[in-house]
Amino acid sequence: MINFFLVDFSVIRPEIGLLFWTVVIFLLVWGILGATAFKPIQNALSVRETGIQNSIDEAKRVQAQMAQLKEDNTKLLAEAREESIRIVSDAEAYAKQRRAEAIDEAKAAAQKVSADAQRDIANMRDQAMVDLKREVGNMAIDVAEKVLRKDLKSDISQTTLVNELVKNLN
Amino acid sequence: MKLTSRLFLLLVFTLSFGTLFASGGEGAEVEKYDPVETIMHHIADGNEFEIVHGVNIPLPVILFAPGHGWTFGMSSMFDHGHHAVKGYLMNHGRINRVADESFPQGHVIIKDAHAIDTYKYKVDGGPIVGEETDEISKEELNEADFLLHDGKYYQLDRASAADGGLLGGGITSFYDFSITKNVFAMMLAALLLIIVFTIVAGAYKKRDGQAPTGFQGFMEPVFLFIRDEVARPMIGEQHYARFLPFIMTIFFFILFCNLLGLIPIFPGSANITGNLAVTMGLAVVVFIVTNLNGKKDYWQHVFWMPGVPVFIKPILAVVEILGLFIKPFSLMIRLFANITAGHIIILSLIGLIFVFGDSGESIGGATVGAIVGGAFTAFMNLIELLVAFLQAFIFAMLAASYIGAAVEEHDHHDEDHAVEHKHGGAYAEAVAHN
Repeated sequence: MINFFLVDFSVIRPEIGLLFWTVVIFLLVWGILGATAFKPIQNALSVRETGIQNSIDEAKRVQAQMAQLKEDNTKLLAEAREESIRIVSDAEAYAKQRRAEAIDEAKAAAQKVSADAQRDIANMRDQAMVDLKREVGNMAIDVAEKVLRKDLKSDISQTTLVNELVKNLN
Repeated sequence: MKLTSRLFLLLVFTLSFGTLFASGGEGAEVEKYDPVETIMHHIADGNEFEIVHGVNIPLPVILFAPGHGWTFGMSSMFDHGHHAVKGYLMNHGRINRVADESFPQGHVIIKDAHAIDTYKYKVDGGPIVGEETDEISKEELNEADFLLHDGKYYQLDRASAADGGLLGGGITSFYDFSITKNVFAMMLAALLLIIVFTIVAGAYKKRDGQAPTGFQGFMEPVFLFIRDEVARPMIGEQHYARFLPFIMTIFFFILFCNLLGLIPIFPGSANITGNLAVTMGLAVVVFIVTNLNGKKDYWQHVFWMPGVPVFIKPILAVVEILGLFIKPFSLMIRLFANITAGHIIILSLIGLIFVFGDSGESIGGATVGAIVGGAFTAFMNLIELLVAFLQAFIFAMLAASYIGAAVEEHDHHDEDHAVEHKHGGAYAEAVAHN
């Protein structure tokens, strides 16, 4: 055999014993650590990563939901405001109308009351006039009777009176 | 002020070290420092774990020689080369074997401290020793280590290697299945990995579905990076989950081995991923996983490429079949070369201390070497830290891309489409669509 090196460069000769032990030790480490450490760590990591990803997705979903809710709320609020404005203006218009109506009614009632009153007054006046006339007539008859009873004790006086009365009647 | 005092401390430290070396050198004969040999020794695997020179941690030895059965024990039984056991003995930290049947079996004490040396040899003539060497050195002859015992030279066999004899290895008279320095460090890396990820996985179980904390939070970005930047784009959304444990194991195993190799003291310092056997083992696993998962489309692309003229198809088939092996081969070489180069550079910079110090003779030179080498080593270590991550990442990424190519499925494959067809899996498609 040819010697490549000046001195014994022994590390370049792969001794069978060392080769054997290397393979044995490596396979043992692979078998033991693969089963007890690397696989469990790998699984734990992937479980955790899935968990984190899920959490992020969930957070994003919730965030989107929140944004949607907020938007809905704003919309609802705007609608409510509009509604309230509409209600208030409706109410105001109704109130105005009601007031006008009430005034009209009151006016009409007042006119009616005053018209009734005037008519009653007129009626009562007429009644009073009638009563007065009758009373006065009665009083005149009484007076005339009394006068007549006293004056008509003589014929002359009677005749005078009748004449006078007749004259007056004319 | 602070910097000055630190430099002063460093100077005192190196000076005292130099003195130690010098005083040690006076008694014994001064051994000339050979940087290349030292570096090669340090990046090599070993049957014992050297903490400092002369202090070793013995490691288990498992040897097999066909026809002679198994031999078990601790590396301390070889007494750093002074004892031979059943024909095995320690040579520069590695176990070698005397294949010669005439060598006494059982425990043999080797008295001569320099019994082992390297000689050129003739195939059936034994080592060439003495005056003849000069004449014969022009000839192309192999070199081997020989043991001189009781006046006879015995050739030392190295452990069998899987290079097919191309790199001076090949199948020899025995196999070394020992827990070597590299195997030990690899086991440590595996243990650390298992501890770390058991804790992390426990945290995921305990805090299910919650945000990560503490150590779990420290590892999670790395995990996610490999998943989202390597596995997912390279293999594709549909299949990546199935291969993720494999890619993770590759990345973290290489990373932990690289980082352990950067620690300069026990239990680190082993050049694990800078050894071709280790990267070959990993590449073989990637090769098997890739091709076992090859879909119909993948094999069609290999053997009968759609969308090209018929006369090109056989040529492409040859290229693609070569590619099947070149891909893991490139993985093997890339990691090995990067890590070994890094270790060699750091050891060379440390070696400056001894080169400038003239093997312990010049204290001033050693001081300069320590300052210069130390600064460069600190810098180099940071680069190596980057390389440790980078190479683990590249290995995992390329492994993922090979798997991605194997599992990729094409919905429609008419000739018109083949022109704009891309080999990038889902990621390339996603990029193209963006």
